[in-house]
Parts: sequence; C-alpha cells; structure tokens
Amino acid sequence: MKQEPRIGVFVCSCGTNIGGVVNVPEVAEYAKTIAHVMHAEHNLYTCSEAGLTTIKESIREHNLNRVVVASCTPRTHEPLFRATCKEAGLNPYLFEMANIREHDSWVHPHEPERATQKAKDIVRMAVAKAILLEPQNEPEVEVKGSSLVIGAGVAGMTAALSMANQGFKVHLIEKEKELGGMAQKLYKLYPTLANASEVVEPLIDDVKSHRNIELATSTTLKEASGYIGNFNAILTGPEGDSELSVGTIIVAPGSSNYTPPKGLYEYGLNDNVITQKELDEKLRKGEIGEPEQIVMIQCVGARKGEIRPTELEAFPKSDTAELLRKILKARKEEGWPYCSKICCMNAIKNAILIKEKSPKTDVVVLFGDLRVYKEYEDFYRKARDLEVRFIRHIEEVRPGISQTPEGKLQVMVYDALSGTEVTFPADWVVLSTPLIPSKDEITLARMLKIPIATDGFLMEAHLKLRPVDTNVDGVFIAGTVSGPKDISESIISGEAAAARASILMGNRKVKTDAITAVVDEELCIGCGLCEEICPYGAPKIEEGKSKVREILCRGCGSCAAECPKRAITMRHYSDGQILTQVKALLTSEGSKEVGQ
Amino acid sequence: MAEERFENEKLGEEFEPLIVAYCCNWCSYAGADLAGTSRFEYPTNIRIVRIMCTGRVDPTLVLEALRMGADGVLIAGCHPGDCHYQKGNFMMEKRFDYLKKAVKNAGIEPERVRLEWVSASEGGKWAALIREMTEEIKQLGPNPLRRTKAPKRTDATISAFKSQRLRWVVGRSQIKVEIEEEKYRQTVDLIMQDEIERHMIMEALKEKSPLTAEELAQNTGLQPSKIVQHLIALRRDGKINEAGEKNNQYLYQLA
Repeated sequence: MKQEPRIGVFVCSCGTNIGGVVNVPEVAEYAKTIAHVMHAEHNLYTCSEAGLTTIKESIREHNLNRVVVASCTPRTHEPLFRATCKEAGLNPYLFEMANIREHDSWVHPHEPERATQKAKDIVRMAVAKAILLEPQNEPEVEVKGSSLVIGAGVAGMTAALSMANQGFKVHLIEKEKELGGMAQKLYKLYPTLANASEVVEPLIDDVKSHRNIELATSTTLKEASGYIGNFNAILTGPEGDSELSVGTIIVAPGSSNYTPPKGLYEYGLNDNVITQKELDEKLRKGEIGEPEQIVMIQCVGARKGEIRPTELEAFPKSDTAELLRKILKARKEEGWPYCSKICCMNAIKNAILIKEKSPKTDVVVLFGDLRVYKEYEDFYRKARDLEVRFIRHIEEVRPGISQTPEGKLQVMVYDALSGTEVTFPADWVVLSTPLIPSKDEITLARMLKIPIATDGFLMEAHLKLRPVDTNVDGVFIAGTVSGPKDISESIISGEAAAARASILMGNRKVKTDAITAVVDEELCIGCGLCEEICPYGAPKIEEGKSKVREILCRGCGSCAAECPKRAITMRHYSDGQILTQVKALLTSEGSKEVGQ
Repeated sequence: MAEERFENEKLGEEFEPLIVAYCCNWCSYAGADLAGTSRFEYPTNIRIVRIMCTGRVDPTLVLEALRMGADGVLIAGCHPGDCHYQKGNFMMEKRFDYLKKAVKNAGIEPERVRLEWVSASEGGKWAALIREMTEEIKQLGPNPLRRTKAPKRTDATISAFKSQRLRWVVGRSQIKVEIEEEKYRQTVDLIMQDEIERHMIMEALKEKSPLTAEELAQNTGLQPSKIVQHLIALRRDGKINEAGEKNNQYLYQLA
C-alpha cells in the first residue's frame, strides 16, 4: 500500500549566497503550510556535516518518507543528499532538490522580494514532485572478466597488452592480415627519428606471444549486442563466423589518410605531386634521391568549412550506406574542418630527413599556420638550422601550381611576410593531408551505437573529463578513432582505455542507472515505434509486446514522448511527476492541493 | 498562489508573466546554472522544470501547461549534435512543428512556445533568452486561458495528442518514411485536424448527449458535412453509437 507522504523541507541559506537575497526563514515558514510537509527548517549550510546530521535526525524524529532540500543545483549536490537519505534508511530516489541559488538568488540579487516569491514557488513545485516520487533501484549487473579490442594498431595492441597483463582475457581482432595498423606503414617517427618498426615490432611480438591474448587477423566485427558487462559479438574471419561474449569493448580501428581529389594541386595528374604519406614510403625505399627542390604544402584538405547538421543526423543512425558515401565524397572535394595536429611535425620530420641526406636540396614548407607544440618547437628549430625554408601565406590565398614550359612543376605563393608573390620551382610537391574518419569507424559507430562528434570522429563521453569513455557504458575508445594522434598519444589513450575497462572488470559488478523506461504491457500494442526510435536499442518487441532492457536504457524518455498508446512511463520523470510541478505552480487547484 | 497573482493584476499592477521552462539536464539546465554562477541577471518570471532530455517533451506536457495558464512555455535543450542521448533534441525539433500548429489550434498564440538550444557553457545566452522571452510574453499579455475555462477546442487538442492515431503519425515522422517529407507533413496536419475535430465532438457528447449531427454542428461550430464524416469514423472505431432518433435524425452518444 502506498504510504502517506511525510515530507521534510530543508531550506539552505548557503551563508549569504541564498540568504543574502532570499528571505530564507520566510520560505521555510511557508513550506510548513504546504500539505504533506511534516517538518521544515532553514540551515546556514544544509550540505555541512551539521546540516546533513539534521536531515538524518529529522527523518527519524518526524518519520519522514520524502526529503526536499532547497539550496543549489542538483547537478552538484544531489548525490550528497541522496547518500544522506540512504544513510537514514530512505530510498535515495525519495529525495528532491529545489534550486534556489543558481536559478534564483544568484540571478536576482536586486529583487529580494520577487526572488523570495520565486523561491516559494520552486519549493512548492519540488514538494509536489516529492509527493509523487517512488523508490527506485539501481540494477546491478555482473561484468565478465574479458574484453574485445577492435583494431591491432599501436593503440589497440597497447590496450590489449595492458589488460592481458592484469590477467584479463583479451580478444584482439584486426581486419588486415598484419598487425601494426598505420604505424606499421610508417618509416621514421618524430621527434626521435627512430624507425617506426622499433616501436611497433616489439608490441607485435608481445601481443602474439601473450597467453591471455587471443588474436584474430583478417577478422571484423559483424554484429554486436548486449550491454555493459555482457556484450555478445559475432566476428567474421577467414574461417567463417564465430561468437564470443565479453565484459568490455575497446574500439581502436584507427583512421584513414585523406587522399586529395584528382586535380587538386595536380594530384593524380602529375606523378611528382604526392602526399606526405607517399613521401614517407618513398624515403623508406630511397626513391627521392637528391633533387634540387621540394615544396611542401600544409593543410591540404584540413581546416576547411564546417560539418553540416544534416551530416550529423545521418552519421549515427542512418541506414543508408549511400548517404554516408555521399558525405565522405563531399568531404573529399571540400576537405575536413579540423586541424589534424600531426601534419606539421610530419612535414618537419620529412624535411629534416631529406636535408640530412641531401643538404643541398632546397626544402620549402608553405603554411597558413604552423602548429608545433611542446618539445616539437626544438624539432622545428632543428629544421630551421638545416635551412628548411618556412614560408607563411595567408589562409585565404592558397598556393597555386603550374608547369614551366620545360614541364617542371612550380608553386606560386603569396608570401605574407614580404607581401609579394613568390614562385618556387619544384621537383616534388608534397601535400600534407589530415587523418580523417575511416569507413570502419562509421560502421562500428552504428553497430555499437557510439555517437559521432562534429568533426566526424567518435565522440568521447566528455571531451575533457572522460576522454576515453563513450556514451555507451562498457565501450571505450583508443587511438585515432577519436581524432588525430601521434604514436605516443595513441599509446597513452590505449593505456587509458585499458585502465577504464579494467576498473569495471576488476570490480566484477557495476550499478546502472535507475531512470529507465517502463512499458505497461496492458496498453502496449507492440507497434515497434519505440524499438525504431531508441538510439540504444533498449526496447525490443517480443511476443507482441515491447520489452525494455533496463540495462540498455539511458533514460532520455524519447520513447515515452512518442509512444502512440502512451504505454511507456519514465521512472522518476513520469508525465504525472512533471505536470504536478506545473500544476503546483499555476493552478489554484494545484496550489490548494499542495499548499493552501 | 495563482489567485494571488490574479489579485495583483486586478490592482492594476504591471502584468508579470509566468513562464514554464522544460530544461534538459545536460545542457540547458546546466546553462541556467552557469548563468547563476556567472551572476548574469534576468527577470524572475521563469520557473524551470528539470527533465533528462528534450526528447522527453511530449506535446501534451506543453499543451497541458498552457491550459493550466502558463503565459509561456520554453523548451530548452542541447545544440544539434550535442545531445547527451544522440538525437533527443532532433526528435523534439521534428515534433515541434506539429506542436506549434496544435497550440494555434488550441486557441493560443503559438509565439508563447519556444524551442531553443542552450549549451552548458552558454550562461550568457540563457540570461539573454529569458530577458527576451519575458519581454515578448509581456507584449502578448496574459495567456487567455488563465482566467477563463479552457474552450472545447483546447481540451480537444490535448485529447487529440493523447490519441493513438495522431501519436502514431507524429511518431513515425521520427523515422524514415517512404514518402516525401513535405507530403508526410501535410498528411499529419490533416490527421491532426481530424483528430481535434473528432475530440471536439466527443467533448460535446461528454457534456450533453445524445445529440444529432445538426446539434453537434451548432455545438462545435464545425460544418455539418464534416460532422457526418467524423460521426461515421467515430462509429466505426466504436467510440460512439446511435441512441434513437429525433426529427428523423439519428441521435448519438458516447459508447
């Protein structure tokens, strides 16, 4: 049977933060007049040890079964007050917060009377919601002690080794025949000028020989289902399909290299116009020799235009591979909007390699902006000392390319420093092109339901605070799949993703959110709309009824807003719980029911 | 409380609107928090209701707030591409078109309802938005439903948005449909009109029944030919049935 609500209201002064504007004692007195409020008081700091103790004591003394704290934003303090309720034996979801600081006293410092009136409204609304609150449970799930790592580049291998060394079983899959990813194809690395193989080979050897790593090359992910702690994956490899279940997934498929469209700076028309990556390959093979002049052009296909909203909408959910192909094609012509971060150092590295081998070769680097961060500044200076010429042009006036009557390439550029147009003859023209999202990334994003950020790369759960988490619990990202990175950064992200996954696997259990969708099976007609619109695949029609797998549901409520039969209720945010606040605010009936 | 507000107005004080804001937890609620942390001042007329995502905002939540007398309703969420749940804001945007038409249908100025994107870092934008919206609503004056009982049309619009048929077509617009978008929109508009009118008939029958088609036409202000069409549909759906005859016309009542 439903208990009669017995509500305690605690109004916080927050020193003078609230009390300096809002008449806090008056608000507390007002709260006492609201129906179902059994106890109301005001505190100097409700979040202080003394304040929290008062809450706990009041719960016992007045036999409270709901608590409202009128203070600051729930986005920071709700967890603390919920924990306090829990300590006093109250379900933490029987707590409601009234934000009278950020949304009231701090924005209305010169209107104390109106701010006080507003505080009363906010408290009345919170009490109204509290009346309808119901206890909720955060479901706990087991986390399997195994992980699937997609992509055996530097980041993926690092992550796999880190987890394997901690004793977790790792399934490492790679779509190519060989391990090593993009790094395997590189010649020398900046800024040490070490051979890339010196970094990559030992990783490959360790991965191949580790007893906790099960390796599958020429293998891709075909299907993924399940949820944090219990993912099911179907892999496709040379020997057909295989199935496995793991606790966590690390996505590390890497990125692609932008290939300029045919004709851009004569690319594809003249064999002596190549990309930086192709130069790398030629240096490795010794095919460059000792030419007179090399001109490098920076930011080819990078830092151009913006991603359009329609593209964003298409990325995560589009069913049409056609549309994605169109986007990638448009991008090929137009270029990508971001700075690829590694191209400047890469150009400098190749310039140094050429200069060290052939000092008389004139190497010219044309740039709009040159971005060399941390110790790479020294690397840049080294190139200057070797007499590599860096010429700055204005971003808007891109260099032009043509051929001399003798058939030699020449690059014209507006030198921003001298204010004149300069022409450089060139034996080779090298285009520095960005790392771009790969098709594999887009396929994986859709399969695993990871959002794609505005730059086209996989989106982190939080750019600053959770850089290797995704919005899908239990799925992490490593390497250049979330944006351009050099090798050391890829290793860092691989280690980080492994650490995040290991915390889950080490704890063996994880609590998930209580705010989920509930289907009233009496009302549900199994139309399947919820199944189609849910970005997480949480509802599934089984035997003609929608079944929401709580563990997949993130609680957005879009299905509840669209359900044709209104059969879906959101826990903690039901229509009733939302509208009762509006009713308490607006109607005399509502304020009578709640207040008097 | 509400009465107190009306009292003040009677005393000839300047009209102070009350605006309900449905703010998503991740962007706009946080943006409003930042306005506070940054001490950006704005008028006191807004009351925030926290939700997890604008995707949650069922059109009925807005229509009901207006029926209860909210002078304005603001729906505020993450910028396109920033949604914490990938595309809840896109879903809200899609249904917003229909919602605006519904508001107009319900006899309320559609300008009272706004959908805005405010990120967690846009405290300044939040403050400016509230200033602007408060000013706009002041110009519009009080919500006409604040003092008078909501007309049948308002109630019928809300009922229509609770009905399976309208919800189904609005919901389908969220996913890929096989026909042209503009055509689909027109179809939804037609169904919305239909459903609103049918609910007006049912509201009328709820109040007084049985009634003839002619009486229903007078009662609802709808064309008699429309009434007959709707009566056939309602009868087919089992919502109404015949209850005898009057002056050689069938009488209808709620089933």
